[in-house]
Amino acid sequence: MNVLECEGLAKAFDELVAVDDVGFHIAAGETYGLLGPNGAGKTTTISMISGILESDAGKVTVAGKEITTRTTDGNAEIGYVPQDIAIYPDLTARENLRFFGKLYGIPKASLGPRVDEVLEVIGLSDRGDDRTEEYSGGMKRRLNIGIGLLHEPSLLILDEPTVGVDPQSRNSILESVELLGQSGTAVLYTTHYMEEAERLCDRVAIIDGGKIRAEGTRRELVELVGQRDTINLGVIGSAYRLVEALESMPEIHKITAADASVEILVDGASSVLPRILEVAQQSEVGVSGVEVVEPNLESVFLHLTGKALRD
Amino acid sequence: MKAWAITTTNIKRLVRDPSTIFFVFVFPMLLILVLGASFGGGFTPKVGVHVAGDGVYAQGFADQIDANEEFESIDYSDSGALLEDVERGIVQMGVIIPANYDDTLASGGTATVEYVGRLDQSSVQYRASIEAVATDQSAVFGAARIVEGEGLADFDSAVTAAQLVASGPGGSEVVVSTTGEALFGDIGQFDLGAPSNLILFVFLTSLAGSAALIQTRRLGVSRRMVSTPTSIGQILLGETGGRFAVAMIQGLFIMVGSAVAFDVKWGNLLGAGVLLVLIALIGAGAGMLMGALFDNDEQAGSMGVFIGLGLAALGGAMFPLEVFPDTMVKVAHITPHAWAIDGFAELIRHGGTLASIATEVLVLMGFAVVLLVLGTWRLRAKLTH
Repeated sequence: MNVLECEGLAKAFDELVAVDDVGFHIAAGETYGLLGPNGAGKTTTISMISGILESDAGKVTVAGKEITTRTTDGNAEIGYVPQDIAIYPDLTARENLRFFGKLYGIPKASLGPRVDEVLEVIGLSDRGDDRTEEYSGGMKRRLNIGIGLLHEPSLLILDEPTVGVDPQSRNSILESVELLGQSGTAVLYTTHYMEEAERLCDRVAIIDGGKIRAEGTRRELVELVGQRDTINLGVIGSAYRLVEALESMPEIHKITAADASVEILVDGASSVLPRILEVAQQSEVGVSGVEVVEPNLESVFLHLTGKALRD
Repeated sequence: MKAWAITTTNIKRLVRDPSTIFFVFVFPMLLILVLGASFGGGFTPKVGVHVAGDGVYAQGFADQIDANEEFESIDYSDSGALLEDVERGIVQMGVIIPANYDDTLASGGTATVEYVGRLDQSSVQYRASIEAVATDQSAVFGAARIVEGEGLADFDSAVTAAQLVASGPGGSEVVVSTTGEALFGDIGQFDLGAPSNLILFVFLTSLAGSAALIQTRRLGVSRRMVSTPTSIGQILLGETGGRFAVAMIQGLFIMVGSAVAFDVKWGNLLGAGVLLVLIALIGAGAGMLMGALFDNDEQAGSMGVFIGLGLAALGGAMFPLEVFPDTMVKVAHITPHAWAIDGFAELIRHGGTLASIATEVLVLMGFAVVLLVLGTWRLRAKLTH
């Protein structure tokens, strides 16, 4: 069952079309990535999905409830983690959590224990009563995410949650998102970091200029644009003899030999590689090393938009 | 409930900030104290008196000053100390009666009493009162000399007889009457300044407090609130409630604090309460509007102070409206300050009731409605577009 369904979303700011006919769905337990450079329309899209921004067109439903700026029922199903660290700096983490807990409608009796649980999850139990202005950037980010988790939403929306954090905190955040996906929460994750999208997301939409250029699993996206795997073999013996032996294989699109290595461009390296190794053995060419390079989303993005993902 | 959570969070954030505590609570009370002490009624000037000799006439002069209720008389044994205290403003004037005062008078000469004052307007006013004492004494001694000259009695006996006559019935008396209505009536030392300061500071805090609203928006907290199952109406109500509550807390503190500490009489309590609620609502609306119109909290904070002080000066919260020319009084009434001051003046100086400030209340209600509608409308647009 789909937790989020959106279709035909559009938003323009005067002459600037920020989002144009964007639609996708996310199932329970699925992590869906919106991958695109700054200004691609990611934040505008999730602002409309969160009910913060009025859309010019389109429809959003979360857990079957329609989301608009005029309705609030469906918002209880959404945990929104904005790109900005949206917390009160002069309140403690506990006070921030209690405040948003009240806005999420968590009953008074269960609010205190739930706040304690979230502080535990985000690793701030021992600093929960300190003002957040005294926190490091990473701690603030964790609290920012914790507020989104407070009411155990069906859909968690994370807008570039790792921007400006140190590598350790970043890894901690990514691990938390992975766990959320496993717990059955639908996650909408926007990023302009290709490696985050590849690591976390079950499906990814490439967004640029306010439009979704392509959508699917990483493999589907790569295949969609005709990108192929590269197998680099380190060889002992004649690389040219191996090239001659492999040229007859239909799965191989291109093969290049150097002194002690061979670079082979194939469709589906995992299925072709055993056959290649067999041919090498039959040709009496030793293999000293194997490296498989799969095409990544960066190259897909480049292919689709003609430009690179930038920081 | 959710609006209440937003309101209480606003109050919590206010009381956490030490600088806000100073400017919201301490500074207004200090200003009421300073202005009341400097310009308010009920001030009794001090006169230092040094009697250099031990003559009975010299002491009589000093006693007559002491009997004057316009002054508080302080005896000085050292003329140097008296001069120093006049210079330092510890006493407002000094009177030095020379050692040969009695002998000079007894011998028919003219005794010189030294009056020491500061170079200001009030010194001239005090001097007239001291001169009146000297004139009274001169009349007694003049009469005594005539009696002595006629050989009817010696000088001392003649002085005693003349003093008896002077203190008895008869003679002429100047009766003072006034025409028209007293500008400030019979009010206490702090009664005039306290309402003006209340209005000035509640508006100033509300306008400068718009910075906190902008900060909430800039931090993304407002957008995050919108993403929760909380309606825009409740968010706006909570933010308005926060601003209103802060203004009310400050206003009540000034009202109660000044009544307890400085014995300020606010007149009819219902009327004063209604005026305070309206001032707080107008302040909340103005703060919301500024918080929605500006995007930079520092800019809004400084503009808030500038606009707050400007409106206060224009509206009569810094200088009494009574000293304004007629045209300026009309101009002043484009501000809510002037209407609020009119309302308080009616309650405090003329014993007015809620009914007698109905016009002021209606006009202030109008200001409140307009500013609250504009403020919430602009803030709503900021949050959802």
